Amino acid sequence: MNFVHSAPGTDNHPVVVTRVSDTQWHAVEDDLTVGRGVASRRPGGRLFVSIDAWHGAVFDRIADAMQADLPTPLYTVVDEADHDSRSAWERAGFATARREWGYLVPTDPQITGLGSVRPPSGVTIVPAGEAEEGPLRALDRLIRGEIEATVGWRTMPAEVLPHPAGTTVVDPSKYAVARHVDEYVGLVRVAPLTRQPRIGLIAVRSDRHRRGIARTLLTHALGSLHRSGTASAWAEVNESNAAATALFESIGARRAASTLELVRH
Amino acid sequence: MTKAAGGVEAEGTVIECLRNATFKVELQNGHTVLAHISGKIRKNRIKILPYDRVLVELSPYDLTRGRIRYRYRA
Repeated sequence: MNFVHSAPGTDNHPVVVTRVSDTQWHAVEDDLTVGRGVASRRPGGRLFVSIDAWHGAVFDRIADAMQADLPTPLYTVVDEADHDSRSAWERAGFATARREWGYLVPTDPQITGLGSVRPPSGVTIVPAGEAEEGPLRALDRLIRGEIEATVGWRTMPAEVLPHPAGTTVVDPSKYAVARHVDEYVGLVRVAPLTRQPRIGLIAVRSDRHRRGIARTLLTHALGSLHRSGTASAWAEVNESNAAATALFESIGARRAASTLELVRH
Repeated sequence: MTKAAGGVEAEGTVIECLRNATFKVELQNGHTVLAHISGKIRKNRIKILPYDRVLVELSPYDLTRGRIRYRYRA
């Protein structure tokens, strides 16, 4: 793979953009690599691109080359506060498709108000590491099927990382679940990062919505973190997910970042 | 042959998260640079926090500016 796109660069030095592999483009000016583009396909099949360049003009050259070589739609992700990157992608024809809030979530029950939350009748929480793997995987499949039949999970943070084919619960020990009588009905996954734990996923099967099960799962997860000395966790929520947004904001979670997903059709 | 990846790379520690999606990074030689996150890191949802050890590619046009290319595991 060695397709070459040549164009004037900065200060009249020619910039040559070369596709050096299926997924990488390099911009070279005066024998110096001045920019790179990378494409990667997410597990859901969508094609994401990224470009790093020191000059807007070089960014534009790489974007042109990548768009000439790749099929649409193409997706990318920018921090909403990064105005330079956003405008560069907009110059390349990308438009905002959705926004995702990054929440800093307190764990202290005095702040969250979750100290007095009691599970709905008949619901108990099975802590992380104690859930039975078979029923957990069955619940994950059930919820996944419900979501895919509606809005789909392809934009969820949980779907970014590659996982083995057919396996969506990569590490069962990270899941706490809500059990109603003998059934698992909801789950929460916390990535216990030492720097800042991340609530990677919280979900309840659709026939058990609006009963306080998600709040109970969150109470459990945040309470565990608080007892281990962690003051806050991180969570990403799609702006259009009104239920999740309301849940996090009701416990004092603060919007600390926003990420935009851009698309070019 | 091209020179290595646009110039100088250096290890450093994030000392502050600033507005406009930039970070103040103290390099091992004591210099401080303003760095933003590479598109690849952003795309892969890798979060950068204060005290993280990172690899910074310095701009060949302005050595006080850089791009965080890699975050080392804590």
